[in-house]
Amino acid sequence: MASASVYNPVGFDFSNQVRNQFLQEKGLPLPKATSTGTTIVGCLFKDGIVLGADTRATEGPIVADKNCEKIHYITDSIRCCGAGTAADTEFTTALISSNMELHALSTGRKPRVVTAMTMLKQMLFRYQGHVGAALVLGGVDATGPHLFTIHPHGSTDKLPYVTMGSGSLAAMAVFESAWKPNMTREEALDLVRDAIFAGIFNDLGSGSNVDACVITASHTEMLRNFVKPNERVEKEQRYKFRRGTTAWKKESIKDLIVSEEITPIGGQVEAMDVS
Amino acid sequence: MSIMEYNGGSVIAMVGKGCVAIGSDLRLGNQALTVATNFEKVFPVTDRIYLGMSGLATDVVTLREQFRFRVNMYTIKEERDIEPEAFAHLVSSTLYERRFGPYFIEPVMAGLWKTQKGEHKPYIAAADLIGCLNFAKDFVVAGTASEKLFGVAEGLWEPDLEPEDLFETISQTLLNGVDRDAFSGWGAIIHVITPDKVITRTLKGRMD
Amino acid sequence: MNTFVNQFSTSSALSVIRKAQALVDDDEEFSDAAWGSEAGFGNLAKGVPSFSVPAVHDPTAFLRLHTDDHADPNCRIKIQHGTTTLAFRFQGGVIVAVDSRATAGSYIASGTVKKVIEINPYLLGTMAGGAADCQYWETYLGIQCRLHELRNRERISVAAASKYLSNLVYSYKGMGLSMGTMICGWDKTGPAVFYVDSDGTRLKGDLFSVGSGSTFAYGVLDQGYRWDLTDEEAQELGRRSIYAAGHRDAFSGNTCNLYHVKEDGWRFLGNYDITKMHYEGPGDVPGSAKTGYGYDVRVEGRVSSAAPAVAS
Repeated sequence: MASASVYNPVGFDFSNQVRNQFLQEKGLPLPKATSTGTTIVGCLFKDGIVLGADTRATEGPIVADKNCEKIHYITDSIRCCGAGTAADTEFTTALISSNMELHALSTGRKPRVVTAMTMLKQMLFRYQGHVGAALVLGGVDATGPHLFTIHPHGSTDKLPYVTMGSGSLAAMAVFESAWKPNMTREEALDLVRDAIFAGIFNDLGSGSNVDACVITASHTEMLRNFVKPNERVEKEQRYKFRRGTTAWKKESIKDLIVSEEITPIGGQVEAMDVS
Repeated sequence: MSIMEYNGGSVIAMVGKGCVAIGSDLRLGNQALTVATNFEKVFPVTDRIYLGMSGLATDVVTLREQFRFRVNMYTIKEERDIEPEAFAHLVSSTLYERRFGPYFIEPVMAGLWKTQKGEHKPYIAAADLIGCLNFAKDFVVAGTASEKLFGVAEGLWEPDLEPEDLFETISQTLLNGVDRDAFSGWGAIIHVITPDKVITRTLKGRMD
Repeated sequence: MNTFVNQFSTSSALSVIRKAQALVDDDEEFSDAAWGSEAGFGNLAKGVPSFSVPAVHDPTAFLRLHTDDHADPNCRIKIQHGTTTLAFRFQGGVIVAVDSRATAGSYIASGTVKKVIEINPYLLGTMAGGAADCQYWETYLGIQCRLHELRNRERISVAAASKYLSNLVYSYKGMGLSMGTMICGWDKTGPAVFYVDSDGTRLKGDLFSVGSGSTFAYGVLDQGYRWDLTDEEAQELGRRSIYAAGHRDAFSGNTCNLYHVKEDGWRFLGNYDITKMHYEGPGDVPGSAKTGYGYDVRVEGRVSSAAPAVAS
């Protein structure tokens, strides 16, 4: 139960459960949370990992966000792409990122990718798939580059090239036909771009721009809006309304600038005698 | 009929040049029956942040008080007003806390944040019912008329609108959007937030 | 093809119709082609039409599966449900008033629907439920009424016309027709209103309202109805009732269409915007109070919650 304190107990709050169950039994279906149709990919190359993602967020058939960020920060040299229930990917990666920072602080070492992977899979397994996060985790640590996929129920894979989300088939087709070991940074980035393109153009749940992230042992480069293949042309017509178009009934203006005016009262004030 | 449509109602926010606008319709319904036509869904959070909520009316009222409490605690502890981005994350985490027993609302936030130079920059955001934030550079919508509002706003919005022009654009978007929705309308209210004042206008809308 | 019709062939109305069909067939000298498509009615003029049915085991269940949006909100075919229609009989004839909104789920698909079907100069039908069902069958009823006139050299009574429709929809009972209609007109007996729906119900009465907004319309109607209403008062009551429904019911609104049936047939009185009625009233028409119907408009400046308006 929510207490009257701002210091709430940790974890999820189930206090609306009884009410929501009641509403559901009354025949009102519970609304589904926004689930993102997505294309996210990752691939291994000579010096490290390249991650890629599209930038479309959907609510059913509606494009809710045309340029959202799906590559989440875990640590400086570990990143995680998220597909599935949007809020779950957002908060799960934020929580693990936070725990990784604490872990790094308590051990005094740079954290490893497997550590993040284990934390994520243990959390997702604990929630038995109810936390709907499908992730691509990639990074470089003391043991070299690593690339994982983590499914909502907690299973993981470790592969040289991976895809996830509704556009995963389209993206995987590209990887299967063109991936090769020991690619250069440019080759890998081009391949990831093409894989995301395949998702953007062939999967209806994916779209807009390509985000990419190149992680090497020495450096992490986040390439936000790496390619923008769906730039919208400027509108040729403007629909600016003449001021006064909208009829309104009542107006109130709240002034945010506090001004003071001093009105001297009680006749002329003589200058102070300072002699 | 989903819970989100039980009471009806819609909210919208838009960015202008150095200003933001946020508005809602005024209907409170019980399914098809219109119960009240003065139910505002946008509330002031600070002088320069407004929060709009659409969805189940009982949760709109509960969360309005919940957020008022949390923002007051923040103000007391930090000895300063909350900034829009921090407030958006406060809303987001409050909703995600109830991931498995959610409040049935979709929040829309609009505000101005102060840069280090003291300028005011526009900020808008929306979230789904479990708190997935959506920062947009143009406009955000929520509620039973959201699909219609998306369409109208996509056509009417343009960058760098002055406060008075932004008022016309958001008003026309909202009024025409809700006129195609059975569960929203019955009048509307718009707040235009500028660095030095907040203009609140009650619009004359269709009453059917 | 017409197995459905045969299934219900025991109904007496159908055998009558079938006899009529035989009659029409007999004195038909020209082929169908000579009459073009018969105004889109195909072989309708020859009696009970037959419909193509989907090639599935149980067409009735199939149709229900795809049209019953109560059971499944995501069903493929959404039939229009929200409506307010009313008709009442009084000293000066019959008043028929309807709204003009068409909704598909929560989407307002149209605000300019004609929900009064002009069957002939003396008969009006109203539309609630399935728009297509009402339009099709009431137009079909018009054809049959005309045939009645030609055969009997006199106009059909409202009672007979409504019974024809009610027998017809009863023969399709359980097959998915959805209509709630009022057949209104003037015949030898004077003004008449009959309620007919797709369940087969047929009621004679002074005052009816049908549709999702009917409860709101009844509220105003019952409060203001008298037999000795003047024409102007009756017209105003019709408008005011539709306004009330349009205002309170989410699925009714946009405009009100008003008809008055008198001894010499029906007359269309006008189309009134419901929002305009809320703020300003119906305009300069007989019987109008010349002020807005809206509560906050009527009490403006007299209660704290509705302070005097500021001009924009």
